[in-house]
Amino acid sequence: MATSPDPPSGPAADTAPSPGRFEEIYDAHVVPIYRFIYARVGNAPDAEDLTAQVFMRAVEQLDTTRDMGQIVSWLYRVSQNAIADYWRAFYRLPVIGADQMGAGWEPADTAMTASSAEQPSPTTGGERAKKQVDSLLRRLPANYRRVLELRFIQRLTVAETADQMGITRGNAKVLQYRALRKAALVGEAADG
Amino acid sequence: MADLPREPFDETDDAERFDNYLDALISGERPSPDDVASGEEASMARTAAELAAAASVAHAGVQGADPDPAFVEQLRLRMRQADAGIASVQVQLPVHTKPAISPTSAPTDVTRIRISRRALLQAGAGAAVGLAAGTLGLAALRPTPTQRPLGGDAPLVKGQGFWQSVASVAAVPPGSAVRFTTASFAGYVVNDAGQIRALSSVCTHMGCTLYFRPDWKDLRCPCHGASFDLQGQLANGRDTWKQTGGYFGDATAYPVSLPALVRPSVKIENGQIYVWTAQI
Repeated sequence: MATSPDPPSGPAADTAPSPGRFEEIYDAHVVPIYRFIYARVGNAPDAEDLTAQVFMRAVEQLDTTRDMGQIVSWLYRVSQNAIADYWRAFYRLPVIGADQMGAGWEPADTAMTASSAEQPSPTTGGERAKKQVDSLLRRLPANYRRVLELRFIQRLTVAETADQMGITRGNAKVLQYRALRKAALVGEAADG
Repeated sequence: MADLPREPFDETDDAERFDNYLDALISGERPSPDDVASGEEASMARTAAELAAAASVAHAGVQGADPDPAFVEQLRLRMRQADAGIASVQVQLPVHTKPAISPTSAPTDVTRIRISRRALLQAGAGAAVGLAAGTLGLAALRPTPTQRPLGGDAPLVKGQGFWQSVASVAAVPPGSAVRFTTASFAGYVVNDAGQIRALSSVCTHMGCTLYFRPDWKDLRCPCHGASFDLQGQLANGRDTWKQTGGYFGDATAYPVSLPALVRPSVKIENGQIYVWTAQI
């Protein structure tokens, strides 16, 4: 019985080796993991799917006898893989390595590591997100910035956006299309 | 058009289609990959997704940035059930009391007993002695450059593992499947025209448990209707649909592509099927 993962305690461990351990991990990390994923897929239904994948995988594979630090980095690594698979499979992008995920146009200090992800506080999260948005929009021409502000921050419809900008709906759609193409390029350039 | 830079060709149609993606994203719904037509648009979609997320975090009051409490509770229950069910194992009946599985029989003749993890570990430790990691089952792997299991290139079993006996060869005649569970893994051993293979029974979409359909020779997901062939690949996706024009009785193609099922190594020894499984 030299199997290492055996809990050190007495006979009670026989039927339930780690009672409540998963839930302890789950309670501590489900919200930060969800936020981590949401920040990279941008919508709740997909963020929920991927969060579920990560934790169901944890039930199957995670060695809960490890210390919390190792468990946390395992959770983030699996999350990054799930996000990479999401973009690869759903959008058929050639390959997005885990190291590139979420780098994009974010400032370098937000690149996620297990230790920085461990204690995300709501305030710093909000401020960081604001910075992200600003640093992206700042680098765009005025009309591109405007259309993205109206659509993404004020969450106006295309019709409302077009009214605000005094252009047709068709033009508003083309404008946001070009703005995002530019934004994606700006993000790639900032990457390399 | 005065404030739009001139372009060599008209983008109205692309912009129109892509706006469907954005509309779903911005209103917090699941966007459809159908509205994203190229690698360039995929980068744009990713930028838009990150922008939408950051904007909703930065400007509080938008739904979605934090998990729905109902979702958190639901997932907790799913985890609890999975955690409770993991220490069960498929065992062979000592006497062959059931009729040989015919291609039309229902996939119900699976016997499961529950044992403790400790007992399983002891049994596994004995079975693991002196066995190198042979890969009989993996020899039949067909190349899958883009559809790898979740987690990419990682080995199927990281760290310590052992061979777990899951069924006798006689119990899995051609065209049949037997469900098994080890301490770390749930799956089916299938006999695909003489080739024995092990496949995960967990759908790579949301983790529902797949069931075997003898008539179709696939593993089917009861939740959203994904079907995986006996190689572990999604069988009723849009790509297949385009080639074959349909999939058995299905009304529509499965809307998104999914990673392939995990396939642990299998070996056969003395009429027994062994699956390489992780030690937990």
